[in-house]
Amino acid sequence: MMLQIKNLEVEVENKKIINSLNLSVGKGEFHVIMGPNGSGKSTLALTLMGHPNYKITNGKIEFDGKVINDIPVDERARMGMFLAFQHPEDVEGVKIIDYLRLLLEKVKGIEPAKALQIIPSKAKEVWFSADMLSRYINVGFSGGERKRFEILQALLIKPKLLILDEPDSGVDIDSLSLISHKIRELYEQGTSILLITHYGRILEHIDPKIVRVHIMKDGHIVMSGKEELVEKIEKEGFKKVFEECGCNE
Amino acid sequence: MRRLKRKDSRKYLRSVVAMSELTVQDARSIIEEQIETLKKRNKEPEWMTKLRYKAMDAFFEAPHNDPIIKDPLDYIAKAEEEMYPEVKSLDELPPEMLALLDRLGIADVEKKYIAGLAVQSDTSIVLNDFLKEWRKKGLIVESMEDAVRNHPIVKDLFLKQFNPYESKLAAYHTAVWNGGIFLHVAQGLKVPMPLHLFFLIQNSAMAQAPHIIIHAEPNSEIHLIEGCTSPVLVRHSLHLDMTEAYIGDGANVKLSVLQNWPEYVHTRPMTRARIGKNAEFINTTVGLGTGKSNIANPKYWVDEGGYVELNGIILGQKDFYVDLGGEMNLDALGARGLNASKSVIMDKSSVITRGLIRANAPKTKGHISCDALILNPEARMETYPGLISQVDDAELSHEAAIGKIREEELFYLMSRGLKEEEATQLIVKGFVNPLLKDIPVEFVVEIRKIIEMAVSGGM
Repeated sequence: MMLQIKNLEVEVENKKIINSLNLSVGKGEFHVIMGPNGSGKSTLALTLMGHPNYKITNGKIEFDGKVINDIPVDERARMGMFLAFQHPEDVEGVKIIDYLRLLLEKVKGIEPAKALQIIPSKAKEVWFSADMLSRYINVGFSGGERKRFEILQALLIKPKLLILDEPDSGVDIDSLSLISHKIRELYEQGTSILLITHYGRILEHIDPKIVRVHIMKDGHIVMSGKEELVEKIEKEGFKKVFEECGCNE
Repeated sequence: MRRLKRKDSRKYLRSVVAMSELTVQDARSIIEEQIETLKKRNKEPEWMTKLRYKAMDAFFEAPHNDPIIKDPLDYIAKAEEEMYPEVKSLDELPPEMLALLDRLGIADVEKKYIAGLAVQSDTSIVLNDFLKEWRKKGLIVESMEDAVRNHPIVKDLFLKQFNPYESKLAAYHTAVWNGGIFLHVAQGLKVPMPLHLFFLIQNSAMAQAPHIIIHAEPNSEIHLIEGCTSPVLVRHSLHLDMTEAYIGDGANVKLSVLQNWPEYVHTRPMTRARIGKNAEFINTTVGLGTGKSNIANPKYWVDEGGYVELNGIILGQKDFYVDLGGEMNLDALGARGLNASKSVIMDKSSVITRGLIRANAPKTKGHISCDALILNPEARMETYPGLISQVDDAELSHEAAIGKIREEELFYLMSRGLKEEEATQLIVKGFVNPLLKDIPVEFVVEIRKIIEMAVSGGM
């Protein structure tokens, strides 16, 4: 198993957000998590990555066969986990090119000279020009630029597990299509995917047959299924789906 | 003064001075001796020697107000505690200085320059030919000692913005000033590349007080970069440099001072500038190694339509004490001033910023911004912005942001696999980056390295 979550319970500021959550993501699998606002999707993403504000009070997370509950974020990243944030942070004064070069050097062991060749060509694939590369990280970026920059970092790092927290929110149509393409590209290169979303649109370029869908509600997974679950939710909404399955009890 | 023999050239000697017994009379005779030595060595004109003696008298009467240096008398005899032997060629430089020059790519400085003033242009060494050629066009770069003898105008510029009676430290500087630069840019002359200046100070008990005059005639342009590579060959505990800048009407002058002092030295840089009509003066000071303590209160007077900018970058480390002021007097219609500082404060250091802008004329504009990043709970920051308006239609404003590194920002960078130290270094470098806009790239590289080392050391 690439990722195994067992009976997970998470608190934020003494409030329980996630409880008895179980989920397994195998190597080379594509999982989608959907759920209404406040169901704990982002909390799950940030907990998986080891955010210090999210306290695991029960259960465990295993990555690549190792319990990572107490492993700090940077180590998780170097083990092969990558979170594309819903709201990527601004980092004032730090040029993208300098940052990416450092990242490749420190995390991937790629020489700076080589990095300088790789970065611009990858950047171009997500519509980042040479000019864009001398801008500061996320400062003044549009929604689409932010999300494309997250994808660029994933493309450069090639993680074992890519967790995407709403890569489709606040994004223009063209960026959405590109991001969908790039997620597929990473998937095809062997990256396992855990994608959190509200809409099916982001799956536009993904083969429906490969997708496993989970529905989250009140901090745990209430339903799992295949791609038709996405269509059902898009057509009927969470409320009706929850009524039908008796998930409201 | 004793000199080391050649064979001891890598060592330095420690001269023993009994400190506690120093009386005012002792101090007077020490200063007198220093003045006499300088007078002879420099073959000074009489007006200069007179000025020195006047300043010596002032020293004993002037007020003294310094939170760290309680009694300047302590520092007079201490002026020379340890010193390196005379250096005649680059090979004889202490290894740490050679390494620094090497990193900056200026280890090839011609040997003939090593005895005094070395000047470097943006990308390569300014050879004698460069200065000769620009000299014909009206650029004078001379050691202050030579300039005092060679150029009558120096008499009209020297100590015209300071008064020895205003403070003991100003008086002491004036009495024993030694070393420094006279920079004169003729009317309309535009020097296209920055001049990098560094001094080699050696074998002088009084080498702690360089005097710098920048005289930019109307419509001239120059960028002067001072310090950073200043290898101080005499180990002393108090450094008092004084800079007087005269920016003529329509002139455009940048002065970037890169301070990287050893940690045993107290520094009290004194800078003042008069900025002419529609002239511009951009004064950047980067305090990487600020020394044990660094207190500065540069003052500027801005004429009609003129502009002054003080950019201060401060790296507070260990138990260093840094106090950066900055007084801007907007004295005529439409004068403008900007005082921007960014401080990175770590360990147990204290940083204080106190910009002051006085709007003395209509349609003037001034802004103070003070940002600080505090890396340790024991580090301290205080800021006192001062805005004084004497007129109705001035625009004065200030903003301050003092805080720690945001957890979310750190988490974001670390989530990509950067270690906490690497992510912190990146954030700190990014924080100061906007104020490094006028600093040439090779220095920026050096500055970033120093920041990285400081952050690592502090973690």
